[in-house]
Amino acid sequence: MLWLWILIGMGIVVVFVFFIYYNRFAVLGNRIDNSLSQIHVQLKRRADLIPNLIETVKGFAKHEKAAIKAVTDARKALVGAKGVEEKVKADNQLESALKTIFAIAEGYPDLKANTNFLELQRELSSTEDRVAYARQFYNDSILSYNNLCITMPGAFFAKLYGKKERKYLQITEAEKKKVDVKF
Amino acid sequence: MEPVRVDFRDQIARNKRNSFFLMAIIFAVFVLFGYIISLAMGEGWFFIIMIIAIIFSIGYILVSYYNSDKIAVASVGAKKANRNEYKQYYSLVEGLTIASGMPMPKLYVMKSGQINAFASGRDPQHAVVCVTEGALEKLDKRELEGVLAHELGHVASYDMRYMTLVAVMVGMIAIISQIFLRSLWFRSGNDRDKMIFIIIGVVMAILAPIVVYIVQMAISRKREFTADASAVKFTRYPNGLINALKKIQKDVVEPEKRVSKAVAPLFFSNPLKGLSSTHPSIEKRISALERM
Repeated sequence: MLWLWILIGMGIVVVFVFFIYYNRFAVLGNRIDNSLSQIHVQLKRRADLIPNLIETVKGFAKHEKAAIKAVTDARKALVGAKGVEEKVKADNQLESALKTIFAIAEGYPDLKANTNFLELQRELSSTEDRVAYARQFYNDSILSYNNLCITMPGAFFAKLYGKKERKYLQITEAEKKKVDVKF
Repeated sequence: MEPVRVDFRDQIARNKRNSFFLMAIIFAVFVLFGYIISLAMGEGWFFIIMIIAIIFSIGYILVSYYNSDKIAVASVGAKKANRNEYKQYYSLVEGLTIASGMPMPKLYVMKSGQINAFASGRDPQHAVVCVTEGALEKLDKRELEGVLAHELGHVASYDMRYMTLVAVMVGMIAIISQIFLRSLWFRSGNDRDKMIFIIIGVVMAILAPIVVYIVQMAISRKREFTADASAVKFTRYPNGLINALKKIQKDVVEPEKRVSKAVAPLFFSNPLKGLSSTHPSIEKRISALERM
């Protein structure tokens, strides 16, 4: 009789362990999806700030057509991009184009002193930080998921539930610098 | 000797292990003390003392635990930070919540020339972060971000909850000591075989609170290192925090009078002089950060 109870107890424990691991995969998987959407949110926020910036810059520096166009194009590319890798690449282009605009602004004292412009500049740089943080959290989430997938006893359950390691978001240095604006 | 590079993840894991070990020591003291009392006083007394100690300590600390955010903010006279006035403060914390995947804490500012900050609240949903006006003025963006990341590190590792648990146990041991020592006055008769345990009990009643206090401080220091490591995890930029610590080192300000001993361990750097035991020295923290 006692043995029966011990067996039942052990059975319950085993079932619980299966549940726990199933849930851990679910939770960590959700965290990855959520952090991915956070990247999209921040990128959209960044794209939304651009038209306002262009209007302000146009008011003071009409002649800088090439630089303005580079920013508008980069924004279009960002809005149109599918998938997170492409979007992040487009965002990097946008970042370079913006750097040019801000460098040009140095030559226009009125623009440089414009509060609206300063505010936008600040906002844009802080959203850039957020994009970086969102990407970092995304990769961190993948790290914890992958650690669970390849260490024991997680690896056993990963196989059982058909969970595979996920890929990191990789943006190479070359892709980051692929922008040149001609004057 | 060339310092070994440590990954911040290993650092966090090691600190967690150390904290756990220290917790185990406190628990061991608790059990051993209870055992000695039961031998010295008889089991009936033992249960009464233990039950009183547990009820008092848990009751007292639960109240402060559930109100930890309000108590901490009120005790230093902090004010809610206005979003329009403190734009950078808000945007840095928002960035860090994205980096750490935590909900947005409530932000406060306290009047003080010191460069300092603290976090409180029983879990990330009820967290508050407070910085001094001195910190907002004297630190640049990256340094301030490092300090804020350190505070969010405390929040992320549930330090309030953990330190509360430690405080409960330390409090119980203190109460047990008191009751035990006082109850000796009311003892009638003297059985010689129990005398030895009574002496051991008295020695323990005096020593145990001191020992667990030292352990408690050691845990608090470990949590500071962990929060520094978490800050690096969030920002991936140890130099921000290192520069902030260096600025604090150079910054000469009067110790804060309004900060009581009870809330001192919550702060980023020790707000009081002479009570250095809640925080590791700034030199040690910098060298730990430089190795990451």
